[in-house]
Amino acid sequence: MSNARTRTIKVDALARVEGEGALNVRIRDGVIRELQLRIYEPPRFFEPLLRGRQYTEAPDITSRICGICPIAYIMSSSQAMEDILGIRVTGPLRDLRRLIYCGEWIESHALHAAMLHAPDFLGLADAFELAQQHREVVVKALELKKLGNHILEVVGGRAVHPVNLKVGGFYKAPRKAKVRELIPQLRRAIGTAMELGRVFATFDYPEYEFDYTCVTLRHPDEYAIHEGRIVSNRGLDIAPSEFPQHFREEHVQHSNALHGLTTKGHPYLVGPIARYNNNADQLTPLAREAAKELALGPVVRNPFKSILVRMVETVLACEEALRICDAYEEPDASCVEAAPRAGTGFGCTEAPRGICWHTYRIDETGHIQDARIVPPTSQNQRQIEDDLRGVLEANLHLADDVLQWRCEQTIRNYDPCISCATHFIELRIDRE
Amino acid sequence: MHAEKGGSARIVIDADGLRQLINQLTADGFEVLGPRQEDGAIVLGPIASIDDLPRGVHDEQSPGHYRLTQDGNSALFGHNAPAHAWKRFVYPPSELLWRARREGSGFIMEEPGKVEAPRYVFFGVRACDLKALRILDAVLGAGGARDSRYVARRGRSLVIAVNCTQSGDTCFCASMGSGPVARDGYDLALTELADGNGGQRLLVAVGSEPGAAVIKAIPHRPADEADIAAEAAVLKAAQDGQHRKMVPDVAALLQRNLEHRQWNQVAERCLGCANCTLVCPTCFCATVEDVTNLSGDTAERWRKWDSCFTGDFTYIHGGGIRRSAARATGSGSPTSYRRGGSSSRRRGVSAAAAASPGARSASTSPRRRATSGKAKEEGNDEPRRRGRQGAA
Amino acid sequence: MTRPPKKPKLAVWKFASCDGCQLSLLDCEDELLAIADGVAIAYFPEATRATLPGPYDISLVEGSITTPDDAERIHSIRRRSKRLVTIGACATAGGIQALRNFTRVEDLIRSVYARPEYIDTLSKSTPIGDHVFVDFELRGCPIDRFQLVEVLNALLNGRRPNIPHYSQCVECKRAGTVCVMVSRGIPCMGPVTHAGCGNLCPPLGRGCYGCFGPMELPNTAGLAGWLGKEGCSSEQLRGMFRTYNAAAAPFRRESEAHEQR
Repeated sequence: MSNARTRTIKVDALARVEGEGALNVRIRDGVIRELQLRIYEPPRFFEPLLRGRQYTEAPDITSRICGICPIAYIMSSSQAMEDILGIRVTGPLRDLRRLIYCGEWIESHALHAAMLHAPDFLGLADAFELAQQHREVVVKALELKKLGNHILEVVGGRAVHPVNLKVGGFYKAPRKAKVRELIPQLRRAIGTAMELGRVFATFDYPEYEFDYTCVTLRHPDEYAIHEGRIVSNRGLDIAPSEFPQHFREEHVQHSNALHGLTTKGHPYLVGPIARYNNNADQLTPLAREAAKELALGPVVRNPFKSILVRMVETVLACEEALRICDAYEEPDASCVEAAPRAGTGFGCTEAPRGICWHTYRIDETGHIQDARIVPPTSQNQRQIEDDLRGVLEANLHLADDVLQWRCEQTIRNYDPCISCATHFIELRIDRE
Repeated sequence: MHAEKGGSARIVIDADGLRQLINQLTADGFEVLGPRQEDGAIVLGPIASIDDLPRGVHDEQSPGHYRLTQDGNSALFGHNAPAHAWKRFVYPPSELLWRARREGSGFIMEEPGKVEAPRYVFFGVRACDLKALRILDAVLGAGGARDSRYVARRGRSLVIAVNCTQSGDTCFCASMGSGPVARDGYDLALTELADGNGGQRLLVAVGSEPGAAVIKAIPHRPADEADIAAEAAVLKAAQDGQHRKMVPDVAALLQRNLEHRQWNQVAERCLGCANCTLVCPTCFCATVEDVTNLSGDTAERWRKWDSCFTGDFTYIHGGGIRRSAARATGSGSPTSYRRGGSSSRRRGVSAAAAASPGARSASTSPRRRATSGKAKEEGNDEPRRRGRQGAA
Repeated sequence: MTRPPKKPKLAVWKFASCDGCQLSLLDCEDELLAIADGVAIAYFPEATRATLPGPYDISLVEGSITTPDDAERIHSIRRRSKRLVTIGACATAGGIQALRNFTRVEDLIRSVYARPEYIDTLSKSTPIGDHVFVDFELRGCPIDRFQLVEVLNALLNGRRPNIPHYSQCVECKRAGTVCVMVSRGIPCMGPVTHAGCGNLCPPLGRGCYGCFGPMELPNTAGLAGWLGKEGCSSEQLRGMFRTYNAAAAPFRRESEAHEQR
């Protein structure tokens, strides 16, 4: 429904994202009057439902927030509980945690980059069409995805909602022989990820740049995945416990997911581009080479290039996993045991799509009194809206259907996980 | 192939002899299977050497309870019947029976069962397990249904029994006349005795020609009177240590008491989990599953252990025999275990009728939801028809 | 290559859920392209922006009903679906979000959202089968991808799926897994839990936590009685039965039997 003055563009159900959301855009006289990323994924009320449960249950229950990144929830909640209990998971147990997190990155990045995001650049509806035109791309992506899942299974017992992780470590450490079996697959995977990266580098990238406020973890010794301080490219450097003093969540009518903002009310970016911009100095050697070959430069400002950053991070995750598998020795104990005590704890880890922050308060018998979870997609929500505004303004000359697709692609740059965010896509563009 | 116990003289080997015996069997191409300590229990698995045996490990066994303990005693067989039964090696939990491939307008059958059966040594078989193998022989062996895979595995295997020198709290073989001493059905039988120096001597009985051939190459000496006396003492102690007894003429006793209140008490505790039949060394119930690949070009038939406790296995025309577990309603009063009586049969019929075209309204009612998925299965012989109806 | 003139249409629908069960379809890495060859993927927003109109031969439904809109939507999906298969604990038993069924939902909204008036939700999370007829329920939180392939396989080949409804114990015993409850005193839901996960927790020294929901004819009281004798408190028992399948009737009733009165 468009005429000379007003345009109405609608996408009622955004595809190739996890969860349910929509986009409403109202454009009048060539000016965007209203832009709402509507998240109608029904709320599931995890935080209040955690109250009264035992602290040991938080990792399993919160993993159910997201079937795509359960490790992020298991790790952040475990870390928060360990913060309360005063225990640190170190040595081979810490390595195993990083290994399984690498598995989740490989699986999630391969799925999103090749199967959900890449079709956009080729004007294809999905990975199945992609498979008809470029079967090898999908086959390679499936190979990577399978390896990521295999790591999750070897270390965690199951690919979705793994069962072997708990506060303090693991139920049973995987056998050395099983971990070693991953080594040849990981060696091959590094090459496969590079090949996919090269294919993606040939795509036409829409010209759009944004000077993002990048918020990520940073660790002194490694590319931060499962541990670190929260930093930004604007000079922020805080412990996870200080997060509430620097960030807030806002409830808006059009979304069942709270919007993450800095306390000053600014949007910010979490996820692969943010991590790359903040931590590129810590890339593993082959990932650094990959970044160079894919011509990413020191800072990425084009959100459409997140697909390339994901492949760099996939190379990194494979390299890290390989390093850990090579060195793995079965630990003496599979878990650091500790008795519950009253307190408040904080946990923050890098889900494939950005930082996932948790805090809990428990009583002396281990019962959860309070829980608060800030997932990555809710933090990105306002930034996605800002990107959409930017992309729309630059492309108002395009036909509605082209514009609509471009909007979808912009949203998919973020690999948004709506189920997470609600603890979010449908697209409506109204041109009046 | 396991002959009755011969009249040959008993011999004695020491721990080194036992080590050599295992090594030699392995060298001869056998896969030696025996007791190992794993995950807090004595299980049956590959034994590469005598060092894999659970030295000094004892077990406590009582209803729903099993714990291992370790002491200074160096006995290799100081435990009772293990958590696994031997049936898993002669009658595997799941087994591919055949595979078929679409070829033109027909199918080509491939029978993977033609591959040669493994040559096992069942090492450390107890008297009760021997009895159980005899029962399986009667059902699946040459004299029974003659399951070719079972017969092949059994026939190519050696059985090395171990006499029990202690009894668990749940043992009752003495009253069944099946133990604690292995009387037949073995190639070799061992009784473990302390040698007085913290080590072992093993009194060996030869039960078959293959058994004799195997032991011949192992250094040994003839058993003396002291050996025989020491053996008699430990075996008597094992027998006397049994508190449980099977009452005589138990079948008739049960027949006379079909409505005894004890059944309800058992039913209240019965979880219906099927564990008892699956760990039982004699239960052999199995189901067959036919699977296809997505294109429908290959089909496979698998045999899998099942149990008379599961709904699908006991499903006969008109409904399942098992229709309730006691006290399935968490808070509720005990309900008696319902036998396959007429009332439940009738319900089965009406459920089937509900799925028939004449009773559509019943099958589309929103409440027709299965709590266990089972009720849905009952009408599952025609999901297509009901599905189409749902789309109407 | 010649194709049969008409491939069956597959649709994947989502209600309140974590997406993990749909992901299990994409996780069938070895079979995915064969599935895509065997069916027309007619509606699957998580994987494709393309949609085909109904009716659909097979609808896979993930998630539970938690909003008035969803309670309407499921009927329209049922009308357009020849066979409707629910995938996972949310669609089959209400999911972890059915914990709300034991509380007041208004309190929950107020505790998460600053502006409760923006939130439209039902007081209970209910399984799909409470609203429409379901042809087959696939269990698990999440479902097992091999079971998913088996169900699709069976539907496409016109045969009954090999999905047994017996206890988790059967899987343990076939695998030779040592019983964690008997040998280590670890509370385990296996004896009342539906098989199908592939025997995951006990081999890791962890008791089954019931993510596949109640088996056929579960004697939950019998298990709770035993666990009580072994030292589990009412609170622990209530918690054990009140997780990912909390609203499945046998588990719900058993958890209610351990409410503190």
